[in-house]
Amino acid sequence: MRMRLSHVLTVCAMCLALLFGSLLPANAIPSFARKYGFNCTMCHSNYPRLNDFGQRYRQNGYQLPGREADEKTVLQTTTPFSARITGGYDYDKFENTPGAENIKQFRITSVDVLSGGLFARNIGYLVVWPPKIEGSSGIAAQPGIVEMGNVIFSKLARDRGSIRAGRFEPAYAAFSVKRRLSFAPYEIYDFTFPGGIAFSDTADGIELADRSGRGMNYAAGWINGSSSDRLDDSPQDFYLRAAKVFGPGEGQTAGQRLGLVGYFGKARPLSGGSREGFNRIGIDGSANFDHWNVAIQLLRGADDHALWGTASDIDFSGGFVEGSYLPTTKFVGFARYDWVNTPGEIDQDVRRWGFGGRYYFVDQLAAHLEYSHRRQDDLTEAGDATEKFFFGGLDLAF
Amino acid sequence: MRRILWMSLGIAALVCLLCLPQLDAQQFLANGLLGPVPVPPNNPQTDQKVRLGQQLYFDTRLSLDNTVSCATCHRPDEAWANHNRTDTGIKGQVGGRNSGTILDAAYMRYQFWDGRAGSLEEQALGPIANPIEMGETLDNVVRKLNAIPGYRQQFEQVFGTEVTTEGIGKAIASFERTVISGPAPYDRYLMGEKKAMSRAALRGMDLFNGKAHCTACHSGPIFSDQSFHNLGVGMDKPNPDVGRSKITNDPADWGRFKTPTLRNVALTYPYLHDGSEKSLLDVVNFYGRGGIPNRNLDPLMMPLNLTDREKADLVAFMEALTGTMPDIKAPELPG
Repeated sequence: MRMRLSHVLTVCAMCLALLFGSLLPANAIPSFARKYGFNCTMCHSNYPRLNDFGQRYRQNGYQLPGREADEKTVLQTTTPFSARITGGYDYDKFENTPGAENIKQFRITSVDVLSGGLFARNIGYLVVWPPKIEGSSGIAAQPGIVEMGNVIFSKLARDRGSIRAGRFEPAYAAFSVKRRLSFAPYEIYDFTFPGGIAFSDTADGIELADRSGRGMNYAAGWINGSSSDRLDDSPQDFYLRAAKVFGPGEGQTAGQRLGLVGYFGKARPLSGGSREGFNRIGIDGSANFDHWNVAIQLLRGADDHALWGTASDIDFSGGFVEGSYLPTTKFVGFARYDWVNTPGEIDQDVRRWGFGGRYYFVDQLAAHLEYSHRRQDDLTEAGDATEKFFFGGLDLAF
Repeated sequence: MRRILWMSLGIAALVCLLCLPQLDAQQFLANGLLGPVPVPPNNPQTDQKVRLGQQLYFDTRLSLDNTVSCATCHRPDEAWANHNRTDTGIKGQVGGRNSGTILDAAYMRYQFWDGRAGSLEEQALGPIANPIEMGETLDNVVRKLNAIPGYRQQFEQVFGTEVTTEGIGKAIASFERTVISGPAPYDRYLMGEKKAMSRAALRGMDLFNGKAHCTACHSGPIFSDQSFHNLGVGMDKPNPDVGRSKITNDPADWGRFKTPTLRNVALTYPYLHDGSEKSLLDVVNFYGRGGIPNRNLDPLMMPLNLTDREKADLVAFMEALTGTMPDIKAPELPG
């Protein structure tokens, strides 16, 4: 009975959200859209993925490019708060995976509170906070850690250049983890030594970025890096990224983008000891053909042996290929293949494939269906670790 | 259990809280209707002045060879614009720009494609002195009109003076402030007549405010941000028209032109400052390609990936901006 009642309440909350979501005019959703009276699809090809317009808006410090003089500050606009809630039937079945817990539940899988806007002309901010939730039946646990909290100073010199400071989504992740269409993670972004930096995480530090008129984007960052570092370890992680867009657009849904990234850091092994070096070098591309997008990420990692606790240094490589079809603002379909190849010394090769789709009842409310299958070599003696993930539910932003 | 109950209530409360700003949005929609026509304090509207302006608007004697009037290019039967790509003035001279409509021009902050006139009063005199359009000098027009008793008498009654350049501008501007379109299906929809717009037009409205990015510039009740943008029109040709920068001498204005109103846009073809796009669908396709690249292309110009149906929906929405036409005919001119 306890279980049933909790499910009923969860579903009721979602239905209520659905009801309100359906009643809203389509031009009135999260804080940025509300500020301008825009629909979500002004900035998102299919939310949460940004389109080229949205990408430029983000790069421009949450100001409409070319319209900076007309922008209103956060004190001059309506409520600068938004929320995103996802929930539905969550099926996650693991085998031979130490510490993983099988899930077969209707539940709310994530809750985020967001706020963004301008403090003043060319000074913007963004905060994403998933409130702390102790997991139980019907709702997934969240640690309550601020996911993003950053300030961006734009137009530093001659109308160009920006500095983002705080906790942010760094430019080294060529494909936004926070705005991806699938719920399954990008494996190569998550693959790291114990306690190491994951490209899928946000980072604390500063990032200098610039965009030239010829479609070149540059970024350089200095961040804290790995979580295994001690509080008195000074930041020693740096990255550089350069990307060229061919044709109009930003390579999101228009134009073709080719990028390079290099990440160089130091981390302390979880077992202790001095900080050791590691690096990541990657190449990425985003190609758009009519309503199709193909995204490719290749990444190579080289870690000092001490970070893995192995006899020799660990070199690994991997990436993903994702195809998506965006015929209208109402629907998007996607499929992805991820791989990570590791040396025999750690033998943790990963393969994941998956596919899914999202149907948008209105801009800010999507039905999400997704399936993916993951296999990782021999985490235990029992054999390969596998995961079968299915999610069918709603994704609401308001 | 209690935690889940509170969580559910919290989510519901958050949803309700965030719905409050929707009231603002509804208010914004209500304000989306055109308000009263703005009238400058130094040129109040009077019936006599409007009648005088109407006569001047239709009078070809304001041109050098008495062949061209304001109405020659801004024709009442062609939505107060005309369907030629660019205009033909005196002696068959062809201009370089498409005629903007006079309809609802009273709501625009700037007049002409390059915004060189800041008021209708100023705009009204521009074509008279333009060597390609009416080719007359303002002094000569004043002399000619002073020689016509009907005009001389009316100027005395309206302004208390003989015919003056300033009076000509003010009278024509006053008349143009009466060339206002009536409610469009879009207006009726906002007023609560939910069937005033077709489903295609409603889908088009969503696209207009979203994926098609139109509202970033075509905003507000007049569907114009009253500003200037470089879409790249004509930039693929030698010696392109550089628009606003010729007026301001500001390199940032290179290739920029005024955002025109989209009210009655379905009637004012062809489109863009050079009249290069024949239909609304052509214009949508132009924007869909992201304009024409050039060194000052507006940063918001980018390909749109619109489907054929979406393009048709956008056109349907723009057609729903067609209001009723003012019932104004050419008057009898004073002899």
